[in-house]
Amino acid sequence: MKKSLLISFLFLCLLVSACAKKQTVAPEENFDQAATELSNEEQFAKEPSIRGVEVEREVALETIYFAFDSSAVSDRFMDTIKNNVKYLKDNPKANVVIEGHCDERGTTEYNLALGQKRAVKVKELYVQLGIKPKRIVTMSYGKEMPADKRHNEAAWAKNRRAETKLIK
Amino acid sequence: MNLKQVSRLTLILFFCLFSTLVYAKKNLYLSLSSKSSKASIGLSDFVPVNGYFEEMDMSKTIRDVLESDLLLSGHFNVAVSDTSYKFDLDKQFEYWAPKDISVLLTGKISIENAENLNLEVKLYDAESREIIWEDTYREKVSNYRYLAHKINDEIVRRFTGEEGIACTKIAFTNDSTKFKEVYLVDYDGYNLKRLTKDNRLNILPKWIPNTAQIMYTSYLYNNPDLFVIDILKNKRRALSTIQGLNSPASFSLDKKFLITTLSRGVYPNLYILDKNGNVLRRLTEGKHIDTSPAFSPNGKEIAFISDRAGYPQLYIMDMDGVNLRRISTKGNCDSPSWSPQGDKIVFTMKYDDDFDIFIYNLSRKRVIRLTENQGSNENPSWSQDGRFIVFSSTRSGKSEIYIMKMDGTETRKLVDMSGNSFTPSWSHSL
Repeated sequence: MKKSLLISFLFLCLLVSACAKKQTVAPEENFDQAATELSNEEQFAKEPSIRGVEVEREVALETIYFAFDSSAVSDRFMDTIKNNVKYLKDNPKANVVIEGHCDERGTTEYNLALGQKRAVKVKELYVQLGIKPKRIVTMSYGKEMPADKRHNEAAWAKNRRAETKLIK
Repeated sequence: MNLKQVSRLTLILFFCLFSTLVYAKKNLYLSLSSKSSKASIGLSDFVPVNGYFEEMDMSKTIRDVLESDLLLSGHFNVAVSDTSYKFDLDKQFEYWAPKDISVLLTGKISIENAENLNLEVKLYDAESREIIWEDTYREKVSNYRYLAHKINDEIVRRFTGEEGIACTKIAFTNDSTKFKEVYLVDYDGYNLKRLTKDNRLNILPKWIPNTAQIMYTSYLYNNPDLFVIDILKNKRRALSTIQGLNSPASFSLDKKFLITTLSRGVYPNLYILDKNGNVLRRLTEGKHIDTSPAFSPNGKEIAFISDRAGYPQLYIMDMDGVNLRRISTKGNCDSPSWSPQGDKIVFTMKYDDDFDIFIYNLSRKRVIRLTENQGSNENPSWSQDGRFIVFSSTRSGKSEIYIMKMDGTETRKLVDMSGNSFTPSWSHSL
């Protein structure tokens, strides 16, 4: 039972990623290893791709904000997480991309990683609350796409964020 | 043995000790002035073979580029003359005698069909009047700067045994198009060129060692993929397009291995890929950030940044992922880059308010600060001779690219352009 679930899950993942690739650039994905060997983490890692796919630029779901250099979702934003999860449960066909962003004060490289960490933290919470990982793409923009371009604490607070957007 | 011979011998010994290349290269003229560490070169205007105005004009232009190159190298003092080329050789040496130069560069320049540039150069020992080196250079007229750079690098090689840096370029990003695109500029700030025109985010350009190829992270296809652009063939290809992060990355010097940060739906960790972008193995694991990898020149070790301690710190591990050592003990660190000699790691650290450039000396296990109180200073990258560092700084109020000596002195702005410039990477000789 467990094994058949696993196989069907992986099949779905492959299907999603295959459908999503409208515009591909060689080389292809490198992680097509034998299905039975995958650990839990590897299953989680088998996330769909939105390469070449348009993303709804209007934010349909609520944004989660973070403290400086932190990827922890504070208690204050747990209701936001729950609201987004409710939307995803009410709209079972909706797939989303979680975009992780940082303020301008860190370095380019580290912020790319920090944005990813923020997106993954939010993904983990969605999954814990019952959303299937195959519906979620994580993506980091580092500090490259600030919501507020000013250089002050108010702007920085708005820029340290994870936006959940619908995939068209 | 007189005093002069002794000092000359001392200098030769000095270069043998500190320049390992000396052993490998022949025909070195190791005679830097005994009064200072710099040799003085006299630059005469080149003789216009056909007497064309264009030849005289080009003579001055090339000499100006060469003078700038020699000064930027930090190895030389330079004296120039507009008139001495008109004299015969004996008169020339009489003219130069009081100017206290150790060598004199002369040349004959010709331009054929308005496009073919021919320059025959001779470098003389000012005292013995012997020819130390002579060569003939042919280039298109439009490549006159490159021609001067090649002459500079040959002179530098003959005096120091090291490869000069005049034929190098710097890749960086700039946001003046409101997106980020990759740009290219000569090491002296000339020949600025925009490489990508995607109207998308293109970030973190980095040279693949000893090639004319730059890898960079592109959001062209809605994922931070690793692309490679070949500046000679003017072509680009995708190198790593795994779902999620494919950045930042570092090639080993032999170009066999690529380390990069992959996320694959989970936390950003380090992986080793082959040169075609196929994953060979995972290097780090855990619910934390491991990123900003930098290969050591011998390909055996990797410097990288991890926040496993709770904040981003500098670490070193062996290429197989073992023997992990934490290097920094405070601040927020990033952007490590191994010196070409392998003895130092330059990195950026936010210690108080701003980021600054620091060097970690591996044998002395000591950290030296290079910048202070001049805005935020980030993304250091070494010149191939290990004597200079290019970096970005906000000291002027916006982010721009600067070059400094590796002791933190003699800083110069690389290029004036609109918008903000970031993340420079310095090429080998091209």
